[in-house]
Amino acid sequence: MSAPSIPNLLSLRGSSRGGRGRGFGRGRGGSSSHSAPGHDVTIQGTDTDAALSRLSAVEIGYLDDPFAEVFAQRPAPGAPVRRLPIINRGTYTRTTAIDTIFNHFLASTAGSPRQIISLGAGTDTRALRLFTSTSPAHSDILYYEIDFPTITAKKLATVRTFPPLCVILSVIENTPSSWTAYSKTNPTNKLICHGIDLRDLAQPQPLSQPQDPPALPQPQTPLSHLLPSIDTSLPTILLSECCLCYLPTPATTSILSLFTSAIPNLAITIYEPILPSDPFGRMMVSNLAARGIRMPTLEAYQAPADEERRLKEAGFEEVRVMTVERIWQGWVSQEEKERVDGLEGLDEVEEWILLAGHYIVAWGWRGKGLELPSSEGT
Amino acid sequence: MSDLDKAIAQLRACRPIPEAQVRELCHKARELLIEEGNVVTVTAPVTICGDIHGQFHDLMELFRVGGDVPDTNYLFMGDFVDRGFYSLESFLLLLCLKVRYPDRMTLIRGNHESRQITTVYGFYDECLRKYGSANVWRYCCDVFDYLALGAIVLGASNTISPNPEQTEMSTEDIEIEVCNADGQIMSQFPRTPRNARARGKSPNGAGGTTNGVAPGASGGPSGGVPTGTGPPGSGASGVSGGSVGNPAGAVLCVHGGLSPLIDTVDKIRLLDRKQEVPHEGAMCDLLWSDPDEIDGWGLSPRGAGFLFGADIVKMFNYRNDLSLIARAHQLVMEGFKEMFDTSIVTVWSAPNYCYRCGNVAALLELSEDDSGLGIFARSNGDVGRSDGGVSGGGLRNVLENDLKPGPARRYRVFQAAPQDSRGMPAKKPVADYFL
Repeated sequence: MSAPSIPNLLSLRGSSRGGRGRGFGRGRGGSSSHSAPGHDVTIQGTDTDAALSRLSAVEIGYLDDPFAEVFAQRPAPGAPVRRLPIINRGTYTRTTAIDTIFNHFLASTAGSPRQIISLGAGTDTRALRLFTSTSPAHSDILYYEIDFPTITAKKLATVRTFPPLCVILSVIENTPSSWTAYSKTNPTNKLICHGIDLRDLAQPQPLSQPQDPPALPQPQTPLSHLLPSIDTSLPTILLSECCLCYLPTPATTSILSLFTSAIPNLAITIYEPILPSDPFGRMMVSNLAARGIRMPTLEAYQAPADEERRLKEAGFEEVRVMTVERIWQGWVSQEEKERVDGLEGLDEVEEWILLAGHYIVAWGWRGKGLELPSSEGT
Repeated sequence: MSDLDKAIAQLRACRPIPEAQVRELCHKARELLIEEGNVVTVTAPVTICGDIHGQFHDLMELFRVGGDVPDTNYLFMGDFVDRGFYSLESFLLLLCLKVRYPDRMTLIRGNHESRQITTVYGFYDECLRKYGSANVWRYCCDVFDYLALGAIVLGASNTISPNPEQTEMSTEDIEIEVCNADGQIMSQFPRTPRNARARGKSPNGAGGTTNGVAPGASGGPSGGVPTGTGPPGSGASGVSGGSVGNPAGAVLCVHGGLSPLIDTVDKIRLLDRKQEVPHEGAMCDLLWSDPDEIDGWGLSPRGAGFLFGADIVKMFNYRNDLSLIARAHQLVMEGFKEMFDTSIVTVWSAPNYCYRCGNVAALLELSEDDSGLGIFARSNGDVGRSDGGVSGGGLRNVLENDLKPGPARRYRVFQAAPQDSRGMPAKKPVADYFL
C-alpha cells in the first residue's frame, strides 16, 4: 500500500481544535493566508495521492491517459507505482463516470462555446485528455481550473517545461492570479487556471452559529468580479471531484450559490464520500483524520438523498445520485468489465462493495439544452 | 528452551526469525503436511477461525479470546497472509505452532496461499522488505502447496459446553451462543421446532445483503433469550434427527466453498493438491467459491470459483452426511453469518479488515460430544450413502427430513486489538481511500 507519510498526530489534534469553522467570517478577496495552513497542505497532498492512483490505474491498463505520468511524483525516479486492485477499480470507475457525464454535456452543447469549471482541479489531466481527443464534440471548450495559487503555479511550470505538454499547450497569458493556454491541437479549446483559495469565493458566514442550516446567502460580490474571465451566458458544467468536501459546509453552499445565481444554463458533477456513520464510514472518518484530513460536508450530507436535496436546494432542477458501486454495475459494459477484471483480478469483492458504496457521483442541471445521463443507463 | 520454542517466543513478539530458521521451519512443516490428506480429520472440541490476512495483533487478540495453543485446539481456514502488514509473522507463528503442536493446530489452504495472489496483495513485497530477498517468500509458498484443502470435524456435540456465565436456559436447549471478547454471553438461541425451521427462510440469507446474527459489537452481556424463533439472521436449525445429547453430523471446513466438480468429500480426497492453486477446476473452486442467494451454480464476481445456492449446499450436506459447512473467504461485518437454514456458515477472523472496514471478527467453537458416539456412528464422508445421496423422495424430502442436526455453536466475537498496547512494534497502518 503506497500512501503519503504519516502526519504527526499531535499536530493534527491542534489543527482540528482550531479547525472548525475555519475560513468562516473571512471576507472574500482578503489575504489567502487562511488559518491552519497545515490542513491546506494535507488537502493538497490528497491530489498527490489521486495523481499516483491515476498513474497506477494507467500503468496497469485500466485507463488510457498519457498525461498521468506528467503530474505524478513517483516515490523514486522510474519506480513503479502500484495500488491495490480495489483502488485501481475505484479510480477507473470515478474517472469513467465523470467522463461519461462530461461527454453528455459536451455532446448536448456542441457547436458553440461552453465552459467547464473544475474546482480544486489539482493535477487533473481531464482538460489535456479532452484537448487531445479526436472527437469532434471535444471542441469549443473553455476549461477553467480553480485551485490554490501554489498548485496552479506548479502546473504552469510543468506545462512550460515538460516537452509533451509544450506540444499541446501554448501559454498566452500569465498574470499573478491566473494563466491561460491555447490548445495547439485544437485552437478552439482553451485552458484557464485560476490561482485562488476557494474559500475566498465563499461569502462571509456568521462565526457564532456554524451549525445552523445555511440560509441560501445572496452573494454580495458577483461571479463576474471574482472570476471575470468566466462568461456567464455560456452553458457551463461545474465539477467538484473530491474538493468541496474539504470545505466548511456553509462555504460550499455559498460557492454553489455564487455559480447558480450567475449562470442560467448550469450543470454540476460532484464526486465525494458518503455514509460517515456506519461501521465502515466511522473507520473511514477516523483513518482520514489520522492523516489530517477532515471532510466537513460529509457530516452534513451523509446519504445519497442528502446530496440530492443539496443540489435541488442549490437550484438544480434535475438531480441524480449514484454510488460508485452502482455506477460500476450499471454504467460499465459487460465487455469492459471483463477487460478491466482481466487486468489483475479483484479478490476484494465485499470490500469493494463497502468502499465503492461509500462514494457517490451526484449530477444535476438546470436551464436549456443540457442533457445529462439518467441514472439507470447511459 | 528448544529452538522452536525460542522462535515461537520471538514471533509472538512480532519479530521475524532469521532466514535460515525460516528455511528449516518450512522444511519441517512440509514433512508434516505431506502426511496429511487433502481433507484432515479433526476431532471436537475445536475452535474454527476464518481469514487472518497478516493482522498479527488481531491474531494475538484471537488467541486471547479463544484460548492459547495448545490449550485450545485450533482450525484455521486459510488466508493467513496478504493485505495486513504482518503476514510474515502471522503465518510463521501459525506454522511454528503447527510444527510444535501438530495435533492441536490444523491449517488449511486459502486462496491467498498462492504465489500469484501474494505477489499482488502484499505478502511477496513484505518478504522482500523484511529480508531483502524473495527466499523466505519462496519457502513459504512451498509450504502453501502442501496445506490441506479442507477438514472434517467429527464428534461435535449437539449440546453447548457449559459457560461460567450460564443463564437460566439449560445448555441442552441452546443451539447458538454468542459471546463477546470477554466471554460474556451476548445472546443465546434455542433449537426451534423442526416445522418452524422447514418453513422459515433464514432471515439473513433471504435478503442476500444483510449480515448474520448481529452480535452488537460493543454490547455487553444481554443474556436475553428469545423464544420460539431462531436468532435474527441465523434461522436456528431444528432438531431434525437425533436427540439432544447425541453427536451432531460432521462439519466440513473449507476456505471458499463447493465446486460443481465435487459432489462428495471423497472426491476432494482424490485431488492432486501439491501444486500452485490452479486458475480453474475443483481445487480452485474449493478455495474461491461463495454461497449466494441463487438456485444452483452461478458465475463468481471474483473471476475464479463459482457462486452456489442453498439447494447445492443442502444436497451436498445430505449426500455426505454433513450437518454444517464452515467456510471463510468473505468479509462479514458481524464476524460470522449463517445461511441456508444454518447449513453453511461464514467465519471471518480479521477485525477491522485492512484497517479500514470497521467490522468485528468471530471464531466458532464446537464442543466435544461426551457420548462417545460421534466418531464411530457418523460417516465422515469416507462412506457414501448407499443410495448415492438421493432417496426416493428426491430433493424435497432431503431438504425437509434428512438434514443432520447442527452442532451447538458458540461464537466469540472480538474487535481489533489496540495497535500499541502490547509492547510490540506496530506501524500505524495507513488505509487507502479514493481521494
